[in-house]
Amino acid sequence: MAKHERYQNRIELLQGTLDMLILQTLSWGAQHGYGIGQAIRAGSGDVLQVETGSLYPALHRLEKQGWIKSEWRNSEHNQRAKYYQLTAAGKKQLTSEYSRWSRMSAAIAGLMNPGESEGQA
Amino acid sequence: MSLWKETLRRLAYLGRRSRFDADLDTEVEFHIETRADELARAGMPRPTALAQARREFGSPARMAEETRSAWQFRWLEDLAADLHYAARAFRRNPAFAATAIACLALGIGANTTIFSIAAEVLFSQPSVRDPYSLVRVDIGGNSASPVREYEFLRDAHTFPGLAGENEEMETNWRDSDNTYRLSVVRVTDNFFDVTGIPVALGRPIQPGDSDRVVLTYGFWQRRLGGAPDVIGRKLLLDGRIDTVSAVLPRDHRTVTGFGFSPDLYAPVTDPKTYVTLYARLEPGTTRLAALSRLKPACQELDRAYPDGNHKWANNLHVSAVSGIERIDTEHELMRPVAGFFAVLMVVVGLVLLIACANVASLLLARASSRSHELAVRLSIGAGRGRIVRQLLAESLLLSACGTGAGLAINIGLTTLLSRIQLPLPIPIQFLIQPDWRLLAYAAAVALVCSLAASLAPAVKGTGVGISAMLKHGEHQLGRHVWTLRNVLVVGQLAASIVLLCAGFLFLRNLVNASAMSPGFDIEHTVWAYMRLVPESYRDPAKTRGLVDAAVERLRSLPGVETAAIARVVPLNNNMRRGTEVSTDLNSRGLHVEFHINYVGPGYFQAMQIPIVTGREFLPADRKGAPRVAILNQNLARRVFGAVDPARHFVRFGQGETILVAGVAKNSKYFSLGEENALAYYEPYDQSPGPVADLHFLVRATGRPEPLIPGINTSLGQLDPTASLEIKPMSKALVFAMLPSRVGAAILGSMGMLGLLLASVGLYGVLLYSVSRRIREIGLRVALGATPAGILRLVLRQSAVLSAAGIGIGMALAVFAVRPLARFLSPEVRPADLMNFVVVGAVLAAVALAATLSPAVRALRVDPVEALRHE
Repeated sequence: MAKHERYQNRIELLQGTLDMLILQTLSWGAQHGYGIGQAIRAGSGDVLQVETGSLYPALHRLEKQGWIKSEWRNSEHNQRAKYYQLTAAGKKQLTSEYSRWSRMSAAIAGLMNPGESEGQA
Repeated sequence: MSLWKETLRRLAYLGRRSRFDADLDTEVEFHIETRADELARAGMPRPTALAQARREFGSPARMAEETRSAWQFRWLEDLAADLHYAARAFRRNPAFAATAIACLALGIGANTTIFSIAAEVLFSQPSVRDPYSLVRVDIGGNSASPVREYEFLRDAHTFPGLAGENEEMETNWRDSDNTYRLSVVRVTDNFFDVTGIPVALGRPIQPGDSDRVVLTYGFWQRRLGGAPDVIGRKLLLDGRIDTVSAVLPRDHRTVTGFGFSPDLYAPVTDPKTYVTLYARLEPGTTRLAALSRLKPACQELDRAYPDGNHKWANNLHVSAVSGIERIDTEHELMRPVAGFFAVLMVVVGLVLLIACANVASLLLARASSRSHELAVRLSIGAGRGRIVRQLLAESLLLSACGTGAGLAINIGLTTLLSRIQLPLPIPIQFLIQPDWRLLAYAAAVALVCSLAASLAPAVKGTGVGISAMLKHGEHQLGRHVWTLRNVLVVGQLAASIVLLCAGFLFLRNLVNASAMSPGFDIEHTVWAYMRLVPESYRDPAKTRGLVDAAVERLRSLPGVETAAIARVVPLNNNMRRGTEVSTDLNSRGLHVEFHINYVGPGYFQAMQIPIVTGREFLPADRKGAPRVAILNQNLARRVFGAVDPARHFVRFGQGETILVAGVAKNSKYFSLGEENALAYYEPYDQSPGPVADLHFLVRATGRPEPLIPGINTSLGQLDPTASLEIKPMSKALVFAMLPSRVGAAILGSMGMLGLLLASVGLYGVLLYSVSRRIREIGLRVALGATPAGILRLVLRQSAVLSAAGIGIGMALAVFAVRPLARFLSPEVRPADLMNFVVVGAVLAAVALAATLSPAVRALRVDPVEALRHE
């Protein structure tokens, strides 16, 4: 039992940020799972690598929450692919996640660089 | 999202599970393909690119698992998997599963059957509209009131509805050349309105109807062949023509309850009828409020019809007709019945406990032979809770199967029981059907069983250290579990001793009752019951004439020694009186309660009851002649002491003096179990009032059966409108034997069932222990142990277990069977040492039988085989 909970906690930590990144990526338009992963990698200049083992569970979790919805479409190479799309609730969630994340990162930055003044990051 | 929607969605997910997996696979495949395409575009050869893409993706299985867990009930899936695994394990070991399920099925079958019967007898709802606002009303402490008083209260509008019924009525149905006696409920014309009893066909009796009857389903099927055109048919009942107005549904239950199933309902026609009152209360009115409203109405009634001795406004009762409170309504009858069922529930509870112990013992054996498997699973990281859950799932599956089979047994038994026509003077037909109560009860029983049977094995099976289990292998491990199994077997044996003691007591009671002489002859006596149409015999002189003619005709039949009339047939009906009695020797009144009967000349000769002193009744003891009486020995001793009462006088209260003509030998009057009953006889001709029920007792010179057709014709010729039932007295005694028979049958079979289950348990434990010790036995044989020595090894274990079980069981039984005394005849004493000796001997014999096969198995152990085997 205890092991299970520890594992959950690890996911929780990653989850918030990853969820936000996924929502942000989808705000530019519908995309499939692979495309989302690529967009995050490319957009972060290859700094952020999204594990597939985390990406797909996260997508399904977001879908279950009703923040994104999915639909099967044919890709540019005429393959059947599942495309994810932001919902109205997802847009709202993205805004609140983003403001929460900004406050948190500002606070962390303040702690890590005590000499510098706030708001420069 | 609401919890409900969430649950639905998750359940829907379980249903769509395979589609979900397929979709996820497609998604993964697309991901890998796209990545491979990209790598190929960068110049990598296609196969390498694909392999690279797969490597990058990682484990799709783990990903799928986590994705899935976003959507589903984890535990429900686990449970399904556990059940699936358990089912597979049982298929591999069918003997184990079959034994466990059979044990549970027997235990649960017995348990739920008694539950079904108890629920039907004690808690069945009458078939009325809204049973909770219908109440029974008793006024003046009487269970029934005259129609005049009923009408007064009805017209006082104390309640929204007040109706009356009398369920103890009979009527003669003349059907072509035959006349049958039917059981009829006489109802006031608004009875169906007030109670809201639904009918299956036609329309019920309505206010103003006086010649319409409502048939019960049973009567319609049995006597009229279920004719579809029955509505409107004319029936000749007690010389009147009545029209069939409606037929009741098959599952109709009367307000009287107890499975009472009359033939028909008819309106009250005789203004002298007494009716039991049923009132409909306004919604929300409590019975207490109804009672406070009843009081002034009854005081009004007392003013309208004053009676110096009796006040209707006293002893008022408003009582429930359904639910658990009904037990109080009929407490005189219900309390002992409820008590008997309480005893039965304890008994079947014990049987179930024994069955559970068997299953627990089987699971323990399994757990210890699987300890290696469990140890491996624990060591590769399965949580202990997870393994316990797996073991619980196994016993849950067992209990579910056992409960299913048990319910099948239940339905079979109760259907059988619902068809049995009980040999009772009143028509009783139980209608036991499975319903939600039974299902809820069975589910609860199954749950308790699976917990009871699996907790100990589960905890024991996983409690031992992993390394110990893996290192020593399985055969050493048994030691811990072993003691627990022994305890279970000892417990089983002890419980079955208690059951056997109870069963044996009831068996002895039956034997005792069968051997008990009722004090009169039953071998050569015929009982002829002739019911006259009361309306045709209003004049007592006419009845007297008929009785005299009938007795004369009967006596002149060939093969008849003598015949006599009686008001009461002992052990079948009963009349009792409690009053002050004084004598010419002692004018101080003495309160006595005695059975009373009015009998014609020749009664004592016909019944072969010896007259000890004085004389029998003679034809001269007629109406108008000086009053005479005969006492039984018990009453004579109570009233006159050592003095011979013949030619002395008795007097009841301030009544006339009555000459004691003689003293009759004691016999049984109401039940075979009664002791020292007082009885009092008067001449039939001097009895009060005309009576429509005539009982003739005919003494045959030889076997009584051949006389029956002759009696039938000669009585039938006297009045064709009378109904006749003629049977040998020995058949009529079946009713008196019924309680002992039922008790002996139920408790005896429960005792046997308990013994069977316990012996299976003992057998299982011994066999298991022998199979565990094959190596040890082989070694002993190799070292020169004799067969006798090996036999001693097995026998000693069996003897220790049996002795412990018998000892503990006896100690428990001494206390446990004590409350049974009130259900047994006084000759059968629960504390009798004899019971325990016999029961102990039976159990020891069964234990020995259960030891045989394991002992033979131990003797057959081949040392070479056994040692090589390990």
